[in-house]
This record gives sequence, C-alpha cells and structure tokens, in this order.
Amino acid sequence: MSNTTVRQKRTALKVAKSSKTLNVSSGVFRGNQSITKSINPSISGKSFSSASDSKVLDKSLAQTPKHTVQVFDDHGQDVTPHPLFIPDPGVLQPKQGKIFPAHDTSWTTVTDFPSIAFQTTNASFTGPFTKSFFGSVSASRTSQTTESVTDETKDLLVKPDLSSSLSDVQARREEVKEQVREDIIDRVVDSYLTETETIWLLDIPAVSVSEDSEDAEAIKERNQAYTELCKSRLGNDKYVERSMQTFNDAPKTKEVQSDSITMVDKAVMSTTWDMYDSFCNKGDVSENIVVSAEGNKAIVPDSSSMSPLLNPGGPDQSMSVFSTISTVSGSSAYLEKMTCVLPVVEEPDLELILQSDKFKQDLAVMERVVLANIFQPKLAAYRQLPVIEDPDCVETQTEEESWTEQSKNPLSPFLEHLWVFKCELTEGRNVSCMTWNKKNPDLLAVGYGELDFKDQKPGLVCCWSLKNPTWPDRIFHCESGITALDFSACNASQLAVGMYDGTIAIYNVQTTEQTPIIDSSDCANMHACPVWQLRWVDHDTGLAGEDQGEMLISVSGDGRISKWIHYKGLECVDLMKLKSPNMIVNKQRWNPKILSLAPGLCFDFHPNDSKIYLAGTEEGHIHKCSYSYNEQFLETYKAHTGPVYKVTWSPFCPDVFLSCSSDWTIYLWRQDLTKPVLGFTAGQKVVFDIKWSPHCATVFGAVREGKVEIWDLRVSSLDPTIASVTSPGVNPTALLFTPETDCVLVGDSEGQVTVYKLKNLPAGDSTQVEALEDVIRTTLSSQHTLGKTDRDA
Amino acid sequence: MAEVEDTLKRIQSINGVIGTIVVNAEGIPIRSTLDNSTSVQYAGLLHQLTMKARGTVRDIDPQNDLSFLRIRSKKHEIMVSTGGL
Repeated sequence: MSNTTVRQKRTALKVAKSSKTLNVSSGVFRGNQSITKSINPSISGKSFSSASDSKVLDKSLAQTPKHTVQVFDDHGQDVTPHPLFIPDPGVLQPKQGKIFPAHDTSWTTVTDFPSIAFQTTNASFTGPFTKSFFGSVSASRTSQTTESVTDETKDLLVKPDLSSSLSDVQARREEVKEQVREDIIDRVVDSYLTETETIWLLDIPAVSVSEDSEDAEAIKERNQAYTELCKSRLGNDKYVERSMQTFNDAPKTKEVQSDSITMVDKAVMSTTWDMYDSFCNKGDVSENIVVSAEGNKAIVPDSSSMSPLLNPGGPDQSMSVFSTISTVSGSSAYLEKMTCVLPVVEEPDLELILQSDKFKQDLAVMERVVLANIFQPKLAAYRQLPVIEDPDCVETQTEEESWTEQSKNPLSPFLEHLWVFKCELTEGRNVSCMTWNKKNPDLLAVGYGELDFKDQKPGLVCCWSLKNPTWPDRIFHCESGITALDFSACNASQLAVGMYDGTIAIYNVQTTEQTPIIDSSDCANMHACPVWQLRWVDHDTGLAGEDQGEMLISVSGDGRISKWIHYKGLECVDLMKLKSPNMIVNKQRWNPKILSLAPGLCFDFHPNDSKIYLAGTEEGHIHKCSYSYNEQFLETYKAHTGPVYKVTWSPFCPDVFLSCSSDWTIYLWRQDLTKPVLGFTAGQKVVFDIKWSPHCATVFGAVREGKVEIWDLRVSSLDPTIASVTSPGVNPTALLFTPETDCVLVGDSEGQVTVYKLKNLPAGDSTQVEALEDVIRTTLSSQHTLGKTDRDA
Repeated sequence: MAEVEDTLKRIQSINGVIGTIVVNAEGIPIRSTLDNSTSVQYAGLLHQLTMKARGTVRDIDPQNDLSFLRIRSKKHEIMVSTGGL
C-alpha cells in the first residue's frame, strides 16, 4: 500500500484521513482512504490546509482511479512521473452539476466532496458552498473553504467511529490484514446495521409558495419588487448589457470503433396452449434450467447467493428455478423452448414414422372416415337415421330407375340391399356362421368354412366392423373350416370358435395375434366330429357354487353336448349324450357311447330358464333336456324326417320354438305338445338357417337354397311375406338379425355377407306376443277340430 | 410395417380417392401418390391450416387436441387426420 509514502508527503492530508472513514461507494477516492470494515460514513472536523500540497493533491486526483503509485529510484527520490495534463490553476474548472460536486476537480477540499455529497445536503448548503468554491481560485481561498467546510461540517451529523489516528490504523493495517484471513473465517462477526441518514439525491426547491404560508406576504412583495425592477431595467443605468466570452476547452476528437450491433426482430405469440405445454414440460426440464443457471452465473446478479439455493430436494428448488427464469433473461427460456421442440423433432426418420403406432391409428381413422363418406347413406339407413342427400352429388337418374324396378308395388315388403361385407380374402369361401359381439353392436364375427365333408380347406374367422365394410378389422386363419362361432357376454373380447375337426379355440379379438388364447386340441375328450354349435351360457339362476358364471357349451357330431371349463387348459364335461331313442331301452353299460349316439347338430337354451335346452339331431329328433340331469331327455319331439339344422326358442313366447331341417320344412312347436303346431314349406329346398326376429314375435327369417325368406305370421302362415331370390349359383347359408335395427344379414356360399333392410313390414306397437299366441291358438283349435273330424271319419 | 402399407394401399384404391399424402411433423411430405409439386403445395398449405386449427382448439382448452379436419369444397373434399387421438 502506498500510503506509507503518502504519509511523508501529505502530512496535512493525513490528519484528515485519520479522523475520517468514508463510505465505500466513494469509489473515486478509495485508493486514498483507509477502508475499514465499518461502512458508517462519518465526517469529523476537517481542519486541514492543503495549500502546500496542491500539487500532490493534483497528482492524487489524476491517479485516483487506481492506487496512488509512487515510484522511487535507488536513492529514495521520488521520480513518480507527473501527469501529462495539468490543468491550469488559473483556469476555472467547469462546474459540474450541483448534485455531485465530487467530480469537480477543484483545488480545495476535494476529498471531502464525495463524502459531503452523500451526506444530507440541502439547497442552502450547496449554495454557499459553491460560492465559496468559485471564489477559491486563489491560494487564499483554501482557508476560506476550510472555514466554510468546517462551518458546514458541524451542521452535519457526526457518527464517531474508529477515530484512531491514522498512524495506528496504518501500522495495524498490514497485521490486521494477515489476521483477517485466519480469524475471520472462524469468528462470528457482529455486523451492525444502522440506518444511514437520508441521502438526498435531488432536491429542487419549490418555486411556488402557498398563499397561506407565513412568508407569503414577504414573497409577494419581493416578487413585485422584482417585476418592477425588470420593468425599469431597460433604461436604467444600473444595468448594462455586456457580453462575455467564455473559455472553451481545447476539443479533442475521439473515435471509437465497435462491432456492429446486429439487431434481430423476434416475435412470439403467447398462446394459451403454449403456456400450458411449457408448464407441463417444466417438471422434466427443471434440471436443465438449473444447469443453465449455474452456467450463466455472470448474468445472474447475486450469483453467490444463488448457489446454496440450488439444492436438489430443497423446498426452495422451485423458487430458485423461477427466480432464475426471471433474472436470466433469455437463456433459460431458450432452453425451455429447445426442450419443447425436441420431442417434436425426435422422429425425422421416415421408417420410424411409418412404423409408429400412431401412424397406424391415424391411417385406420382415415380409412374409416373415407369409407364413412362413401357408405354414409347406407349406414344411415342401417341405423335408422334420416338419409341425407349429398348436395354435390349428381347421380340421381340411375338410382331412380333401379328403384322403380325393385319396387313394382311400393307398398309391399321387400329387402333393401344396403351393402356387402366382402374382400378378396373371403372370396369363394362359404359363410357358415355369423354372430354379433355382445358389447359392441357394430362388431360382427363371421366364420368361413365348408359344411360338406368334401372341399375342406383351412378356415377363416373375420371380425368385421360396420364402419369398414371393405376390410375386416381382424383376421384369424385356422387350420380347418369354421362351423360355429360365439362371442362371450362376460368378456366381450373372447370369441369361441368351433371347427370342422372338432377343435374349439378361444380367441381374443382385442389383439391381432393369430394364436388363440386356448384351444382344445390338448384335451383328452375333445370332440371327434365337427362342432356344429357353440354357445356361451350364463348360469346365474342359483345353481351350485362352481357352476355359476359363464360356460361354453358345444354340440358336436359325435353326439355329445359338452360343457367346457377353462382351467389350466380347456377341460370338458359332458352334459348330455344324445342317445338314439331306440337305443335308450337297451342301454349297454360297457360301451354305449360310440354306437348309439346320434350326431347333434344344434341346441338352444331357453331364454328364461337356462337349465332347459333343446337339442336337434341328425335323425330328425328334437330333445328337450335339463342341465342338471344328464341321463335322460325330458321330452322328445319327432316330426322331422331329416337332420334338424337349427332349433330356436322364441324370444317372446316362452313356450314356442322353431326348428328347421333339410327335409324342406320349418316347424313351429309348443313346448308341451309333441306335435308341431305349424309347418312352413315353401318350395322344395333345404332350409339351412332359421332365426326369430328380435323385434316382432311373429316374424322369423329362414334361408333356403337360393332364397331368403321372411315370414310374418300375422300376414300369412302359408307363404313367406318376403321371399327374395339370390343370384343363381349362390346359396345363402347363414342368417342373422340385427338386435337394434331392422336389418338382416345373409351369408352366402361365395363368402359374401349381405346386409338387407326390411322394408314395409307391418310394424306393430308391441312385440305382438298376443298375435303369435292367437295364431297358435287358432291353429290348434282348427287342428283339433280337424283331428276330431278325422277321427270321426 | 406391412400392415401400414396394406392400409395405405387400400385407402388409395377406394373408389373416389384422388390422392394420399403422408406428411411429417414439419409439414414435409414423406410419401405421396400425387406428383411432387402438388404434394408440396398441398402439404404446405394444409400444414399451416392444421397448425392454426390445432392452436385454436388448444387455446380454448389446452388439454384438448385436434384429431381430424375436413374441408369440403365444391369440387372435392380434403381430409386431414392429425395425430391428436
């Protein structure tokens, strides 16, 4: 520190310095002052004369930005270079603002200027001060100023502090400095915070005075006197116009070159979703922001205080993050933007996009939408919605023609063709069975398999959706032809499939896997003959414990009706063996199974009482059986002369059921009568399938070879109400009603499933149960009378 | 992968479909059945419109997202399936 040398030269200054500690912020003079730890500004009486040391002062002033450097040669002579610019002592220094006279390089109490400036000053204070300042060009002024300074300083508040002599301070300086480092670390320092005096930075005296104030009168008089003075100034001898020449300092040109500041316009639209996104991603990005905060400490104002806050896991974590964002202007926001953008740019690869699941989904949606556009009128008709005409569509001529052809009598019932489920996969295959999904009424499962023992080829199960009639949603290839299908009601995605070789498999249609969940090929007593019908039956009518819940029941050509349990593989339990009636009498215990079983072709559980079911056999018998009794039939109905292909209970009348057979007949039975009530024959064609309508009790549909028939018993029991002939060579083989709308699906031997809408059928308010019963009653009564007359005859 | 190709082919072969364009997140067509200039034009214009539509939907409710956009004109109908399902 150069102050040691200063001591010799500036004796006068020393005194002042010793009794004074300055505010730290007086940066200009820091080098000259002894900086102690206390920051209390204080001004003690400054009585010093610096006249003799004006030159030294000047030197110090010139070099004040840095420590005063004294250069000594070997002989101890001061060879400190003089400053190049020595302002002429006679030249009046340009007056700086009143506010900070500290910057004035005056000859007088320069060192005091900053301190005084930061003290409480008031207008009155600076007034006389500056006057004295201007008048102090000569050497004698210093004394004046000192006097004035001392006068004024007395007015100021004094905070006595370490007012030790400078020498003491100086001497102790180096030692203290050494000790500082060691002691300070351990020592607990008491820092006293005191409020400084109010620092007036700007005080502009008011120019106006309230009229109510005390000296208002005096001021008014003075104002008046002044205005009169101004008026009389013109011709007055006291006031003379005189010009003055001001001295201009020597100008100096200075050039600065800097890099061009490039300006970039940046605009961001702050949208609600943008903010929401950034908010959501903040949790992932917070660590990145922390990193950025640490890396940009220069920008953060209190970087030293930030670091302890950035503890992961501290509750201040989020706080620090936010504050980082607020202080660090662009960097963290930029980082956030980066990380938001990154996930978007993650898949530039074409292959990745094409393989992504999202793309598949989008494609599927697109396909469905486009098809919905095309099939819109058909689907609307299907769903019984009003069909909206396409306003941009121009094809009306051809449609009208086809309409007129179709409906010669516009009021007669007919089947309106809506659309066809077909694709290249299904061409040439025979539709053997169809079923709706129990949960999703738009999902249809169709099984393709040959019904004859010849032409057997690998089977196919397709799950079609109404929303896409051109391609099935799911395709399952099976080894042998499909003969039976049913969706489970409990697990709507399980589809049980029965095949020509007797295998039963259960597929999960939620996935596109080709393998079934389970199949019965490992089961010991699996069916040896084709499984002709499958049904998931829900026994919830209070049976014994283990029989509750849904079970899969199948009937097969080996004459067994079995119940399948899914327990470590598919296990089956025989419910009934369809023994031929003539064999029941002589039951042989040792091996009655193989020889005397009639192949079963169909069965149906009673809709209300799930213990009773009907089974139709190849011999033409229909057996009524009970679930809990597997030895004997409850009833046998004999009327058909050929294999009974289908038997169905009426969904409305609890006692009535229908059966169809290859002997060209359909019979309507009542449970308690062993003879059929009604028989329907219309043509000499084999009846493949028969179904009750789910809406009307008197309506049922049947498919024969080459014809689709809809019978309505209210209208006629001799002829079908609608008989629609299919194209030659194509046989409809399966029939399905839609549970919600009035459409019917027909599957044929070419692999097509056609959707028809029933038009102009007589509709009724109720389900017409009474109508059906009436019909039956009248028929029975007429039969009765007939029978009687016959017998009589 | 093959499934995707099949679906694309099926969509293109539907009667009435003029062309199909697959666009990536930046609006650059990566696969198209139309010629290059038309693809680029359609992709650029539709991308802007889709962004605007998506911004609109999300401004109203940030948790919502645009799933499908249809533009019906006198001559054609343009359908855009975005990824927001």
